[in-house]
Amino acid sequence: MISKEVEKILPLVQKPGRYTGGELNSVVKDKSKVDLRYAFCFPDSYEIGMSHLGIKILYSGANAREDVWCERVFAPWHDMEKEMRERNIPLYALESGDPLSEFDLIGFTLQYELSYTNVLNMLDLAGIPVRAKDRTALTPIVVGGGPCVCNPEPMADFFDIFSLGDGEEISDEIFDLLIDCKKNGSTKAEFLEKAAQIKGVYVPSLYDIEYNEDGTIGKVVPKGAAPEKVTKRVVADLDKVHYPEKFIVPFVEVVHDRVVHEILRGCIRGCRFCQAGFIYRPIREKSADTINTQCRRLCESTGYDEISLSSLSTSDYTHLEELMEKLLEWTEKDKVNIALPSLRVDNFSEKLMGYLSRVRRSGLTFAPEAGTQRLRDAINKNVTEEEMLSTARKSFSGGWTAVKLYFMLGLPTETYDDVAGIAELAQKVVNEFYNNPDRPKGKGVQVSISVASFVPKPFTPFQWEAQDTIDELIRKQEHLLSNVRTKKISVSYHKVNISFLEGVFARGDRRLCDVVEYAWRHGCKFDSWDDSFLFDVWLEAFEKCGIDPLFYTSRKRDYEEILPWDHLDYGIRKQFLIKESKKAYESETTPHCRIQCAGCGSNMINGGKCDALCQSMV
Amino acid sequence: MRCVRVWFKKMGMSRYVSHLDLMRAMTRAVRRAKIPLWYTEGFNPHPYITFALPLSLGMESLCESMDMRIEGDSTNEEIFLMLKSSMPPGIEITDVKDPVHDPKKITFGEFDIFFDCEKGTDELVSLIAEMLNSDELIVQKLGKKGRHKVLKDINLIEFIKEYKIGKLGDRVKLTVILPAGSTTNVNPSLLADEIQKRYAEAVTYSIVRKQLLLENAERFE
Repeated sequence: MISKEVEKILPLVQKPGRYTGGELNSVVKDKSKVDLRYAFCFPDSYEIGMSHLGIKILYSGANAREDVWCERVFAPWHDMEKEMRERNIPLYALESGDPLSEFDLIGFTLQYELSYTNVLNMLDLAGIPVRAKDRTALTPIVVGGGPCVCNPEPMADFFDIFSLGDGEEISDEIFDLLIDCKKNGSTKAEFLEKAAQIKGVYVPSLYDIEYNEDGTIGKVVPKGAAPEKVTKRVVADLDKVHYPEKFIVPFVEVVHDRVVHEILRGCIRGCRFCQAGFIYRPIREKSADTINTQCRRLCESTGYDEISLSSLSTSDYTHLEELMEKLLEWTEKDKVNIALPSLRVDNFSEKLMGYLSRVRRSGLTFAPEAGTQRLRDAINKNVTEEEMLSTARKSFSGGWTAVKLYFMLGLPTETYDDVAGIAELAQKVVNEFYNNPDRPKGKGVQVSISVASFVPKPFTPFQWEAQDTIDELIRKQEHLLSNVRTKKISVSYHKVNISFLEGVFARGDRRLCDVVEYAWRHGCKFDSWDDSFLFDVWLEAFEKCGIDPLFYTSRKRDYEEILPWDHLDYGIRKQFLIKESKKAYESETTPHCRIQCAGCGSNMINGGKCDALCQSMV
Repeated sequence: MRCVRVWFKKMGMSRYVSHLDLMRAMTRAVRRAKIPLWYTEGFNPHPYITFALPLSLGMESLCESMDMRIEGDSTNEEIFLMLKSSMPPGIEITDVKDPVHDPKKITFGEFDIFFDCEKGTDELVSLIAEMLNSDELIVQKLGKKGRHKVLKDINLIEFIKEYKIGKLGDRVKLTVILPAGSTTNVNPSLLADEIQKRYAEAVTYSIVRKQLLLENAERFE
């Protein structure tokens, strides 16, 4: 329950329902009867955080234990923070209303680089020192997880430990150790030493980083018994791992307000720009039966009328048709809609289209990523123009009139012809509509192009690449716009300043911790929100800390350079990434994992198992 | 297909559930309860669920009602039992009945406004009495002028149908009947805000909607 003090400020803020807790299926326990209190923090607004599947899985998994009580914490929006600070109300967890400082373990999920300042702000709002070295007691221990943890160095000074890989695997071991240390009255140093021995736990303070004169890393030296390489954890069998039977159902409308089900983890495609496609390997599929049963149970416990089948590439799920048949058996009767995001254009079958037209119709979105075949080959997108146009044709015949196309600007080897190619491809889709005799009558077509700026990420074949400068990206955006000649095509793009900053932190090192702290102390937070983004303050922060951001973004690295994340092992062999990087320059593609194993090495961290490998061997 | 009127209380933290959020929350509750809903027969079938009169965000209520169309031959008691256990926290089903009046006929609402102040309540009681006994109590109300929103001056005294001031321990309780409905609507927080503004001491308030009334002061059922 929230405090009287908080109740007083609720009438003064927007959408107070975000700060009350008490949603259906939220878990309330007796705090005197648990051994460990865990605050799971999402460093963004309630609406964003409550849409995240990971928090639902880990919340429910932790609360399945009798000795642990896991609660949720989100970043209060600007108006709420102002009221809280004015009245000295510390940041509290939604279930108990207790301040964050009373918790034993504080976990942050780092989903995107631009949420980093919110982590500091949330700790500070709770009266907790932001730097790990200033938190001397055993508790609270601050742990980070999520995709950004594959290079957590720009946040290394703020966290006590990082958890690498699948959270379901590792959380219990961290809980057990901390409970043990609390009972034995261990010091924080003793806890950290032991934590470093848990597979998948990275304790940043146990590593010294030495730099060369040119600013690159010379050496990473582990202290004491800390391992030289920390290897991420993987869930071996998705059918056996914990999946919630209940989702918390928010009162306030959140971004993804529906049942979400992860049907496979990892990706067979190996698109060279895509970090998720590599760091979630090896590929593991969940059985259609498990998904069907769990979806039905979730619909019953939440009352949701929509299921989203989530994964990096949903049409690559081998049992998709079987699953759709099973689901449609009951969803049609129960008026539940099924959404299939992340479909590919090259295996979008007639049958799948048939299933889709039986559920409520939403928009169609495809991601060619690049405008010309040469560039699509360089990034290993493995989609041809003919496949794309034939899918467009099928969708128009199927009654769709709006298509959304996702592209990226600033990809390695990109030329201005490739940029113009985006507009040309969109034009061909428009033409496809008008040349189609089966098109929906009396309607026009709308092709929306959404253009992101490419940011090179760790553990991808492009991790050594220089990122396009802000000016170059703006020129490319203008070039694209000048090539669009019809109102049937609309173009939207990301702010390039935001992509630039994302680029700095994606491949940054520990020296950036000072920059994050400076920027936060001077007002930066909610950086991923256009209205809150203070680019000038960030530039000032780099200057004051004596750091050139272009060192991280615009510099092409040698394959030999020691990268800030080289002591972390996500199962992807560096030699594989180098090979892929070289192939990109030859515009040479690599077939997907089911056609031929490319030898990324990730199966080795899963006892040699990979669902794509099994497929090709059958 | 028949229509039932579901009565519920919206107390405690659920007062921060907005009208739109409440509609979604109740629709989900009805789905969890597995009540055989009647769906519209159009291109995009959806259940037919309507609420008598939206409640302002932050207000509690003892008299909320929701109409829904159902299939099958479940009795009102059966529907009541099915719904009772599937409500989200803070929303309590009190009854399921056949609708009697058309929600369009709602004309007044009766509200309790509770004032909490740290210093003595007597001064507050006399201030409220003085304010309500005068001929004029002008406040600004957000109204519409064409498509634009504008602030209008209104005299609250003209709209207050009945009131009663009382003390409840260290709280002051003001019961008031104000226009509520689709034609004229006066939010009791306009009055509460004005009292809060004029009182010298710090005071907070909370509002509970107790019942809705027809033009002839008969209770909406």
